[in-house]
Amino acid sequence: MTHHPSASGSPVASRSTSPDSGDDAVRVDGVTRRFGAVLAVDNVSLSVGHGETIALLGPNGAGKTTTISMLLGLAAPDSGRIEIFGSAPGSATAHASVGAMLQDGGMMPGVLVGELLAMVRSLYAAPLALDEVIEITQLGGLEKRRVDRLSGGQSQRLRLAMALVGDPRLLILDEPTAAMDVETRRGFWHAMEGFTERGRTILFSTHYLEEADVAADRIVMMARGRVVADGTPSAIKDSVGLRVIRFTSEHAGIAGLETLPGAVSATARGNRVEVRCSNSDSALRALIATRPDAHDIEVAGIALEDAFITITDGIAA
Amino acid sequence: MLNYLGLEIRRSIRDRRYLLLVAGWPVAAYLLFSTVFGAAADRTEGLAPTVEIMVAMASFGAMGGVLMASGPRLAMDRQLGWLRQLRLTPLSPARILAARLMAAMALSLPAIVLTFIVAVLVKGVTLPLWEWPLLVLFIAAGCLPFAAIGIVVGTIADGDGAQGLTMVLYLVLAALGGLWMPVQILPSALQTVAKTLPSYHLAQLGWHIARGVAPALGDGLVLLAWFAGAALLAVAVSRRLTLRTA
Repeated sequence: MTHHPSASGSPVASRSTSPDSGDDAVRVDGVTRRFGAVLAVDNVSLSVGHGETIALLGPNGAGKTTTISMLLGLAAPDSGRIEIFGSAPGSATAHASVGAMLQDGGMMPGVLVGELLAMVRSLYAAPLALDEVIEITQLGGLEKRRVDRLSGGQSQRLRLAMALVGDPRLLILDEPTAAMDVETRRGFWHAMEGFTERGRTILFSTHYLEEADVAADRIVMMARGRVVADGTPSAIKDSVGLRVIRFTSEHAGIAGLETLPGAVSATARGNRVEVRCSNSDSALRALIATRPDAHDIEVAGIALEDAFITITDGIAA
Repeated sequence: MLNYLGLEIRRSIRDRRYLLLVAGWPVAAYLLFSTVFGAAADRTEGLAPTVEIMVAMASFGAMGGVLMASGPRLAMDRQLGWLRQLRLTPLSPARILAARLMAAMALSLPAIVLTFIVAVLVKGVTLPLWEWPLLVLFIAAGCLPFAAIGIVVGTIADGDGAQGLTMVLYLVLAALGGLWMPVQILPSALQTVAKTLPSYHLAQLGWHIARGVAPALGDGLVLLAWFAGAALLAVAVSRRLTLRTA
């Protein structure tokens, strides 16, 4: 038997139904998108306020990229409604106010970095200065380099530069740091801070909880096409239960375990008991007090992917 | 849009292999054919062989430059995700396609101009001065259907497929359209086919001007009809342009 926090019982407040969403940067209402028999995005609702930095967190196949494609007007929802600053995604007004970095966004081959940036810049009404973009994205010295002769990291920075150069009010980034090492990632988020300080809104996807935790004001967690949690990073971490305590007890049964401090859920298979925890330290102390017979105790981290899947199962049940 | 157009053209001009193919090939073919057939009497179009072949090869090169600048390049950009990226800017899809159409059209010019220069310098071709700009203008404008055909090819075929399909189209249009040999030597069934092809009518535009007569309206209408057909097809398949290929 498995106990999981249900969607309604989750301590995480959902903002998607907040009544004052009239001036949200992004509004998604009951959006569904299928690919053949696969439900890639399943009745997703979320809203992003002005100036927020939101992480779309989830494992591969959670529907993050499909959601982002729909936000950008590159794919249309089968049902539901999306608004970007009150306009339809993909409309001229939306394109003028949104900058985006795609996972599979390519660059015009055979042209120079400086030429490409200047051309993209010329498409916007009130763009940033070229020098400023080059400085933020650390592309200095590469202006005369051909875009098809850049390294992976340099290409990624050029993609970011193309997203930033129009000085968009909303920046949408699909796994922006996927190809970056730790150092580059830190530099990237440092550059992004400068951007949000000017009141800009960022929505980015990632499958790293740590990254979402550090960079985002709010995390929207997706799994199997659905939003499974929506709240501040600390509320999300508490609800997911990212560590697990396993022990053997002849007094099988899990009664009372999920109410231990720091515990989220408990399961038993024979004598072996598993307690999922948001704070394994407190749970372990309480466990030893309440179950003195527990032995072969082991504390481990669990893969975020597993956490997502069990949460979805819990909701589906 | 003009900045994008300019960058598209600049990118093609920088591609030396491409330029060699689209301008070098017709010039080499001109030198070969006009030397082999240059001594012959006036041919079917009532022009000196060096002039008739000059117009044919300029048309051949112009058509190739346009086909290769539109189709294979569009297929590549689509697969690289550049079109998806460009689609996220305020540049509308219609303007993106219009810019690509115009960029492809501009690449009819190197072959036309180079063939003319070689014809004058090497083969001593002389025409009334006013005919030269008209020839350049009409042959370049007559390439409009090929730009649209290229966009269809680049939208439906991928990478090497687009390259191959373009080459096949190019050679078939050139051979059957009478650019390499007069259509009169073809079997009569093929002649009927040949006279529906845009390449045939492109050459006719130039030959009319070279003879000092006004280009026939009929040739222009056939070229426009080919353009309209290809453009409709391009719009019909345009959804593929920004599909994820990964």
